[in-house]
Parts: sequence; C-alpha cells; structure tokens
Amino acid sequence: MLDQNGNHSRAAAGEGPIVEVRGLSFARGSRIIFNHVDIDIPRGKVTAIMGPSGSGKTTLLKLIGAQLKPDAGRVSVDGVDVHRLPRDEVFEMRKRMGMLFQSGALLTDLDVFENVAFPLREHTRLPGSMIRTLVLMKLEAVGLRGARKLMPRELSGGMARRVALARAIALDPMMIMYDEPFSGQDPISMGILVQLIRQLNDALGLTSIVVSHDVAETASIADYMYVISDGKIVGHGTPDEMGRAESKWVRQFMQGLPDGPVPFHYPGAGYIDDLLASEEP
Amino acid sequence: MIELLRYLGRWGLGVFQRLGRGHIFVLYVLAGIPGLLFRFRLVVAQMWAVGVLSLLIIVVSGVFVGMVLGLQGYNTLVDFGAEESLGVAVAKALTRELGPVISALLFAGRAGSALTAEIGLMKATEQLDGMEMMAVDPLRRVVAPRFLAGVLSMPLLATMFTAIGVVGGYFVGVGLLGVDDGAFWSQMQSKVELRDDIINGVLVKSFVFGIVVTWIAVFEGYDAVPTSEGVSAATTRTVVNSSLAVLGLDFVLTALMFNQ
Ligand SMILES: Nc1ncnc2c1ncn2[C@@H]1O[C@H](COP(=O)(O)OP(=O)(O)OP(=O)(O)O)[C@@H](O)[C@H]1O
Ligand SMILES: [Mg+2]
Repeated sequence: MLDQNGNHSRAAAGEGPIVEVRGLSFARGSRIIFNHVDIDIPRGKVTAIMGPSGSGKTTLLKLIGAQLKPDAGRVSVDGVDVHRLPRDEVFEMRKRMGMLFQSGALLTDLDVFENVAFPLREHTRLPGSMIRTLVLMKLEAVGLRGARKLMPRELSGGMARRVALARAIALDPMMIMYDEPFSGQDPISMGILVQLIRQLNDALGLTSIVVSHDVAETASIADYMYVISDGKIVGHGTPDEMGRAESKWVRQFMQGLPDGPVPFHYPGAGYIDDLLASEEP
Repeated sequence: MIELLRYLGRWGLGVFQRLGRGHIFVLYVLAGIPGLLFRFRLVVAQMWAVGVLSLLIIVVSGVFVGMVLGLQGYNTLVDFGAEESLGVAVAKALTRELGPVISALLFAGRAGSALTAEIGLMKATEQLDGMEMMAVDPLRRVVAPRFLAGVLSMPLLATMFTAIGVVGGYFVGVGLLGVDDGAFWSQMQSKVELRDDIINGVLVKSFVFGIVVTWIAVFEGYDAVPTSEGVSAATTRTVVNSSLAVLGLDFVLTALMFNQ
C-alpha cells in the first residue's frame, strides 16, 4: 500500500477476475453493439458468452484482445487496461492470450506442423529439435500428430479448428478465447471439442472464454455463463441457474424459442410498408 | 446540383483519406525493414515468388520488343544509310525508356496483382487478424518482406529485359537484315553512357517504379475490403493505378534526367 502503483497492480495480477469489463460501449456506425456492459471472467474457469447471431460476440473477443478500441469503458486483462497499453506491450499481452478464430485462420501457405510452430518460431529462439518436440506435444493433445504434413486446404473444418487450437496453446497462454468452436461440427467432433476445451482448461490451468450459440454443448462445459442481447447483458449465472432463470430473454435463448424479446428480424422498416414501396429507395 | 457537389466532396475526401492511409502504411512497413536483415530468408522466399517467377514473361517480352526495335530501326535508318547505328538506336531506346517502363508494366500485371490478391485473401480469411492475435505484426511479417522483395527485384528484372532486348535487336539487325556485326557493337559501346543510360535510365527508373508498383500492390491488398469482390476490385486497382503511375512518373523522370 505504500507504493501505490506497484502494490496495486501486483495485487490485481494473480487474483480477482482475469478479465474485467466495465461500462463497455461500442458502436459500428450508428448500430450500437454494446451499451455499458460489465463482465467478469473468473480465473481457471470456463466462462461462456452466449447470444444470438450478430449480437457482438466476436466483437467482444476482439475488444478483449485489443484489436478494436471501445467507445467508452475499459477492459482489463490480468489487472491491466489493455486499451491504454502501448503497441508493443499489447503484443506482449497477446502472447499470453490464445484465440481460436471462428474460421480457424490457419496460414494457408504453411502445413499443419509449421502452423503450430509459427508462434514458437516468431517469439522464441528455441532450437529446431525443441520446437519439434513442443509442436508434436501440442498436436498430440488435439489428436492430430499424424496429420502434421497436411496443408490447411486438406483438412476438414473440424480438423482445422483443432489445429488452430494446438497453435493457440503453443505459447502456453494463461487464457484462451474460443470463437464459436462448435458451429458447423458433426456431433462426434463437437463432442471431441467439448472434451478438449474442458481437459485443456483443467490440465493446463488455463482460463477459457467460450463464445457460442450452441446452448446444450456450452452449458455442459461452462462454469459460468453470460447471455448478451441487444447490446446488454440480459442474464448471467451458472448453467443450472440459467436453466431455471425467470428472465424472458434468457428463457427464449436457453430453450431456443423462435420469437420473443430477441427479435428474429434485423431492424428495418415495417414489412407492409416495404412490400408496398414500389422500388428500392 | 447540391447532390453533385456533395458527391464530389465525399469522393475527394475518400481519395485523400486513402492517400493518407497509404503514406502511414508505408512508414510502418519501412520501419519493419531493418528487422528483416536478421531474417533475410523471408525476403529471399518472396524474391522467388515476385522476381524469379516473373522472369519468363520478362525474358519473352524482352526478346520481342528488341526484335521489333531492330526491325523498325533498320527500316528508318537504312533510308539515310545509317544502319550501322542500329545498335545505338536499339540500346538507347531500351535503356532509357522501354526497358524500365515495359518491365514495370509487366511487373505490375504479373507480380503486383499477385501480391494484392495474396494479401487481400489473407485478410479476408482472417489470417492477418490471427497473426495479430498471436502477437505477430502482419506489417512486419507479411508486408515488409514482400515490399522489399519487390523493390529489389524490379531493377534486376529491368536490367534483364534490357539486355535480352539488345540481343533481340542484334538477332534481327545483324542476323536477319545484314547490319555489320562490328559496327553494331562498337557504335553501341561508344555512344551508350554508363551514367545517363545505364544508371539513370535502367537502374534509377526501375528502382523508382519498383517502389511505386510494390507499394501500391501491398497497400491495395492490405486495405482491401475483406470479401471476394473486395479483393478482386483491389487487384484491378493495383494494375490500373500502378500502370498509370509508372507512365506518369516515367515522363517526369525523363524530363528531369535527359534534359540537355
Ligand atoms: N467490420 C465490420 N463493419 C461493420 N459492421 C460490422 C463489422 N463486423 C461486424 N459488424 C456488425 O457488428 C455486429 C456484431 O458482429 P459480430 O461478428 O460480433 O457478431 P457475432 O455475435 O459474433 O455473430 P455470429 O454468432 O454470427 O458470429 C453485427 O451486427 C455486424 O453487422
Ligand atoms: Mg462471431
């Protein structure tokens, strides 16, 4: 407490929530995507962020990774406000966050092995034999050691996502953000991914943020859930609590009702007016 | 009327914003170049893609342009009985103008468009975003090596084009039309100057064109709208804009360099 700054930041790092979102607002043009949102991501847990398509889940992950800047509010990761950091410190911070993109985002000119080795080659000076061992360990963890010579175009969507997962854990990050890990997967690879996320989280002592709209799968691994809709948090709690929640929004989302407080339609002019207008204005 | 003004205003603003972004962009890229000296393999790999793979079209075009010059030059000179000077005529035309300009236009079509498409697609498939999240700066890792490779390759390609062009002119003039072999080379040797023709003509011009074409190509790719239409529009813009820039700059450079 004597040396305020030093003590304070040391106290903040290592305890308390790993990600703290406070009063976050963000708009794309005139479309408000977040409106004063508060989120806490606890350490060592799997936290799910759920919401309908287009509700800004990917945007939220990009805000946490400091790829986008909020219009208001702050995001601190491990006690530091990521949007106040200079560029090179943002990069240092990102080495400790893995992110799994919705598309996998593998480098298409490198094979599976080199994709996983990429962050190691960029950020460490390890000798080749050590890199090889590390890469094989990460690939073994996702069950794709045998596929290391394949190019990204030769992988199925599910395999690509597992390679991306191996790459995301290559630098042993403190947390991983998964963007829609389950969408477009068959039930088997969905099951594999669900297990992998849980196992990696527990075995490596990570913190995981899973962004998804697959309610059942996500509820089965999440320790805590947030539901966002219309730029606000409409509910949060453990999966059990969420299943019993009173809120109309949460109920609609958890039970998959087609219409309710979350509209099925993108906002626009009235349907009848639209049909009666003779031409596109 | 107001609509038109508003449209013009918005268009102008857009143009200047893009210009501004392009300049900030190139500063970041230049800042990434010193770091490449320690990782020159990245540049070499790109010189293969950008330079070596452009060789075929450069060589073939060089031969034909040289042959046409030989034929045209002969037809004109022979009326004055000056066909001995064919070597000089071919060499001067190639070193000062056609060598750097045509090879830059070919380079824009062959390598520039490929660079734009590659970088644009990497953006559209989130590879650049993914790199950023792995704490790797795509400007340094992806754009800077390609930029440097383009800038280094262009003078080499232009030199190659010019040399091959002279051989093409020789083949037509001496081989087919019977110009004296010795006169062809000796006149060329005494009239082509190192500073004006080789350094200023071939090397400086093609170096400037290399910078401009590669800059436009990597910027268009990096700035592309990340969709298929966006990338294809960006590729077209690269070829059109860099060709116009090359022709415009060539006029300026010629005026500056060869003004007695
Ligand atoms: N680059 C962009 N420019 C303008 N608007 C964008 C851009 N990216 C996203 N948006 C808008 O931001 C909103 C949120 O997008 P986001 O990708 O975060 O949604 P999401 O929750 O991840 O959806 P999904 O579940 O379909 O992936 C969408 O309404 C979209 O229209
Ligand atoms: Mg998304």
